[in-house]
Amino acid sequence: MSRRNRDTVAGYAFLAPSLLGVGGFLLLPVVVVLGISLFRWDLVSPAHWTALDNYRSVLTDPAFGRSLAVTAGFVLLVIPVQTALGLAAAVLLDQRLPGSAWFRAILVLPWISAPLALGVVWRWLFDPSDGAVNQLLGHRVEWLTSPVLALPSVAAVTVWTNVGYVALFFLAGLAGIPPQYAEAARIDGAGPWQGFRRITWPLLRPTTFFVLATGGISSFQVFDTVYAMTQGGPAGRTEVVAYAIYREAFVEFRMGRAAAMSVLLFLVLITVTIAQQSYFRRRTTYEMG
Amino acid sequence: MRRTALLILLLLAGCSVAGGGDEEGKTTVTFRLWDDQVATAYQQSFAAFEKAHPDIKVTVQLVPWADYWTKLPADIAAGTAADIFWTNTSNFGLYADNNQLLPVDVDSGWTKSVVELYTRNGKLWGVPQLWDSIALFYNKDLVSKAGVDPATLAWDPAAPTDTLRAAARKLTVDSAGKTAGQAGFTPQKIQTYGFNAAFDQQGIMWDFVGSNGGTWQSGDTFTFADQPKTVQALQYVVDLINKEHVAPPAADTNTNGDKTLQLFTQGKLALFQSGPYQLKSVQEGAGFAWGLAPMLTGPAGRVGVVHGVAAVASAKTAHPDATREVLNWIGTADGVKPIAEGGYAFPGVTAAQPAFVDYWKKQGVDLQPFLDAAAGTTFPAPVGPRVGAGGTAYTPILQQVFLGQVGVAEGLRKAQDAGNEAMKG
Repeated sequence: MSRRNRDTVAGYAFLAPSLLGVGGFLLLPVVVVLGISLFRWDLVSPAHWTALDNYRSVLTDPAFGRSLAVTAGFVLLVIPVQTALGLAAAVLLDQRLPGSAWFRAILVLPWISAPLALGVVWRWLFDPSDGAVNQLLGHRVEWLTSPVLALPSVAAVTVWTNVGYVALFFLAGLAGIPPQYAEAARIDGAGPWQGFRRITWPLLRPTTFFVLATGGISSFQVFDTVYAMTQGGPAGRTEVVAYAIYREAFVEFRMGRAAAMSVLLFLVLITVTIAQQSYFRRRTTYEMG
Repeated sequence: MRRTALLILLLLAGCSVAGGGDEEGKTTVTFRLWDDQVATAYQQSFAAFEKAHPDIKVTVQLVPWADYWTKLPADIAAGTAADIFWTNTSNFGLYADNNQLLPVDVDSGWTKSVVELYTRNGKLWGVPQLWDSIALFYNKDLVSKAGVDPATLAWDPAAPTDTLRAAARKLTVDSAGKTAGQAGFTPQKIQTYGFNAAFDQQGIMWDFVGSNGGTWQSGDTFTFADQPKTVQALQYVVDLINKEHVAPPAADTNTNGDKTLQLFTQGKLALFQSGPYQLKSVQEGAGFAWGLAPMLTGPAGRVGVVHGVAAVASAKTAHPDATREVLNWIGTADGVKPIAEGGYAFPGVTAAQPAFVDYWKKQGVDLQPFLDAAAGTTFPAPVGPRVGAGGTAYTPILQQVFLGQVGVAEGLRKAQDAGNEAMKG
């Protein structure tokens, strides 16, 4: 074996553990899902080859379009609010007031908790007759069964869960901005708002991109909270696309259609991510100088 | 990321449940069910079985009802299903029609109605384990205070009022002490509800439909929206909630199947129509005197659901002989005796039935209303290989009907279409 070949083998040997992980847990399932999407299969009866029928039936099904719209609505409710609140929390924590280390820990507690458990707890809190929320209000509001309130209620819980996580990233971003910029701005007579607007905010752009991209993708795939709180109800008002896929697969047992929906969701996410990336690439500076 | 971790955990949990190797040369037979209380009875039954069969070990797996029908097909596809598992009538057809089950020889000692429920294509597919019928639980304090006799209640959707509505109004009390229908009654501040009208198919909906002379299916197809009697019965049930305000709001009961049971055991619900599967919970939870009355009478009499649970054996079991042994055991009076003697359920073996009735007699509860309901005209539980999927498809629409967000006739039509569509697969 030549030296070059030996190096190649050694290189792949080092890569093997990660390759196995990526291959076995990521690429292989993707291939399997692509395969399943071409069959009609209920897990129990034998599978039937249907070529692209599943895609045709999903794309012409108004319910799939509606679940994409619900998901988009959910993302639009969650992302701006959680980003703004996360940024505000980070700026406040950055002031290093007494106790801010504690606050930082408390703020991320919801994020490190199991989303399913949080969803169940919030379902209790929102219970129309015995829930703590209505007890505090002294007024009966049917949070999770009203067609108008259900989606915002689930979105509010998601925001509450994610704010700490977003704030952590903004805190790290703030820590990465050298203090001399703010100092120079102050000397030039900039007030706190101008300093934030002209110095901090532009320099936080890489962080903002990261937070928006990861937050967008994760809220596009939201499942646990919906599963625990509303099961997609009432009348599909909270049936986000990941829940619709779950329902199709494990409630209705139409594995082929569920797989086709997953593939379509994958295409949507890729498109969104590429668009996001090209937008920010044009407008983001990573250099400080 | 977190979801991936969750999935891996789920997979691991699935493996650990499915695993369980053979210890000391013993053959392990797995048995799955959804009822944690009856599981205790099975533990006793299998302990006796293992004494007589030292070479076989039976492991009881408990999968909660909420996940049962989701997990079962996935496990069957993955080849990790239990050797023997409980099933209901809505779900067994799929497995029977796909040769996933071992057929069973009929035994004359088994409850006939359950044997009929699980006979499909000329063969019996499961060993009857228990059966349910419907009766009316009532809170003795509340009914005597209101002067209501629960044994005489009848309803008639064509009449402007009836004894059920009159009684339920008297039993529904708000925080100011006003009863439903009285001037100044506030439906938002109800403290005690009269009756458990709710999206509860077995305990309420199908019994009202049947007692009004309606049906749910024709063959395997849903036809409920086509039948005026069925629509009328459900309109009546929904009106009890949203118009009469004598039942808890659907927002509370739709997604919480235990809500009405909780209200009843908390003393906040006077009349609770349900099955013997609630006896233990009521007995343990109720801090007041309670009794059983016959189910409500409708225009077509008392027509209630009789449903049965059977234990079926997976055709893919790795040890068919040991599985047969266990299946034979739970088809004997001795095998189901702990279920009957412990007061858990009417057993599927007729000879064990007196032990169940005696248990409750000792507790001061007369089970005659359940026996009468089973002996009278009954309403067939839904059947068909994909009726489970059909039911899941129509559930969210019917829940909306109960919330009053869609009209009854319109909602039933939509639900029927969605259900039949889902049954096509």
